Amino acid sequence: MRFSVTVRVALLALALALISNLALAGFVWQSTHADAIETLGRETIERSDALVAVYRAGGLGALDATTEARRVGDDSLIAAVFDADGRRIAGFGPARLGAPHPIAFALGDLGIERGWDAREAGYSVRPVGARWLLSGRLLDNWREAQHGIERALALSLLLSVGLGLAGGLVLARYVSRRLDLIAGAVDAVAGGDLARRVAVVAGGHDAFDRLGGQLNTMLDKVERLMTELRVMTDSLAHDLRSPLARLRTKAENAALQTDPAPRDAALASLLAETDIVMRMLATLLEISRSEAMSRDRFTTLDPAALIEEIAELYAPVLEDAGIDFAVQAAPAPGAAVHRELLSQAIANLLDNAIKHGSGGEIALRLASEPAAIRIEVADRGRGIALADQATALRRFGRLDAARSEPGAGLGLALVEAVSRLHGGRLELGDNAPGLVARIVLPI
Amino acid sequence: MSRKILIVEDDAATASYLAKGLGEAGYSVETCRDGRDGLFLASEGIFDLIIADRMLPGLDGLAMLGAIRAAGIATPALVLSALGTVDDRVDGLRAGADDYLTKPFSFAELSARVEALLRRTDRSSSETQRARLSVGDLEIDLLGRTVTRAGRNIPLGTREFSILEYLARHAGQVVTRTMMLEKIWNYHFDPGSNVVDVHIGRLRRKIEDGFATPLLHTVRGAGYRLAVEA
Repeated sequence: MRFSVTVRVALLALALALISNLALAGFVWQSTHADAIETLGRETIERSDALVAVYRAGGLGALDATTEARRVGDDSLIAAVFDADGRRIAGFGPARLGAPHPIAFALGDLGIERGWDAREAGYSVRPVGARWLLSGRLLDNWREAQHGIERALALSLLLSVGLGLAGGLVLARYVSRRLDLIAGAVDAVAGGDLARRVAVVAGGHDAFDRLGGQLNTMLDKVERLMTELRVMTDSLAHDLRSPLARLRTKAENAALQTDPAPRDAALASLLAETDIVMRMLATLLEISRSEAMSRDRFTTLDPAALIEEIAELYAPVLEDAGIDFAVQAAPAPGAAVHRELLSQAIANLLDNAIKHGSGGEIALRLASEPAAIRIEVADRGRGIALADQATALRRFGRLDAARSEPGAGLGLALVEAVSRLHGGRLELGDNAPGLVARIVLPI
Repeated sequence: MSRKILIVEDDAATASYLAKGLGEAGYSVETCRDGRDGLFLASEGIFDLIIADRMLPGLDGLAMLGAIRAAGIATPALVLSALGTVDDRVDGLRAGADDYLTKPFSFAELSARVEALLRRTDRSSSETQRARLSVGDLEIDLLGRTVTRAGRNIPLGTREFSILEYLARHAGQVVTRTMMLEKIWNYHFDPGSNVVDVHIGRLRRKIEDGFATPLLHTVRGAGYRLAVEA
């Protein structure tokens, strides 16, 4: 059988209250009881000593007088002298004492006589000459006081059960109310209300607030990812729409041409347009693949050689475009990289530099740091303002200045994905003037 | 005798497009729909080339190829696939494909690669070790790594030499830009700029400037061809 959380929390609180109160009551009872007996014993012995001294000094008469005087203030006191056979000679006490023998202190009934055998007392028996001196205290009142304490303790236990039950219910209600708030927010988000958050008390630092706060952070991330996904899908649809529209126009145009020469030209530009769409999709696929790729595709190679190969591929392009191309490949230790993807990333950076570099010099640099290698492509173009960097890195992100130029806005997104695949990052910086894009790879 | 090509492709439209195009190019073509039939037909060993889709019903393209290779049949194979990332290509080549082409592809690209594969088979049987290649009055000394045209020495850079060597080994055939990127630079991605065209342009200036006839021709919509006649 399983109870609801509320009931279980309440029961737990109750059990804890009961256990702690039982322990407390037990301790109180134990210590009052033991203390009382100890005090009683000490008093009895002291009194007995005093009475022995009185008897020795003044005989039976003095003892009687002392006993009488004391009993006026406290009628529970006993003091009596018995002969060797146990018959009372003087004082207050039972008439007979069965087989007297020395007792330092004892708790129990006093002898065999009716009326005394049921009365408990703390007493001591001392020999004085041939006689015996009994002194002590009847415990009728003391017992009552003890019972009073026990009753009070029992009552407090009963009270603690009640209070524990009530406290448990309050606690359980509190816990379930706080949890319901959190669960409600999670349910709402699961139900599609992505903007719902757990209400967190301002400045609240208890465990529920922390849980709520952490949950909110997670929900923020979920919402951001969902938004990104939607924006991504929307822009994919949107960005495919324009090349497809151009494709359609060109197809119609080609269909209308009757002369072979213009028709061939129209068909050629139709094919070129198709290639643009295909390249866009291929890049997109490469990006999403590189975000979930195992490192077994990596090979260890000399980064300088990789840089020189890609520089060799691009050098004539830049030379033909009249752009100064400075390549500096400092010796770097061998690194495990995905050769093709890293080359493609560098090629993308070079393409960007050619497109947006305004014809100024372009530098491709490899530098080695203690724990990383840096691959930099720097141009002398407009650069990217700090505020625009996030847009530039996003898939399909195109800065306004570049919107009129052909391109899908995937170049830097791929470079960043490749950097991340290598456990590194892509940094954009100011080349004063121009852009410096830096792939930092840990080694 | 015309060359026999086996097409293993489950998509009817692609299969008939390939069969029609290759048939018009003068090849004799046989098609089948799935990997098991493909394996059965290829086992006869009568084909000069196998063109196989990567994803096939029954037995997938790469598994079929593995079985064919295991049977000791070395017929060159070209794998077609919609899986186009760099790693997909590398996987395909590792599995025994001689070439890998991503769908959708231009027919020019396919036919250039088909021709190159068929030519490679011929070469490996007849002209394995050659020290010299020549196209018209262009002479390439593969050992000395020198090039002369009409007796005149033409100094070439290392990369220019490898491009020219590749073109000369495929003299008379169309060589596409992606084929060159793959074979000469070993890059399986498509650099956005017209990098190959620029390299070809420089090579062309060196081997054509000052000579009467062009040698390195641009084939529109496809690539380049090194040949005496246009």
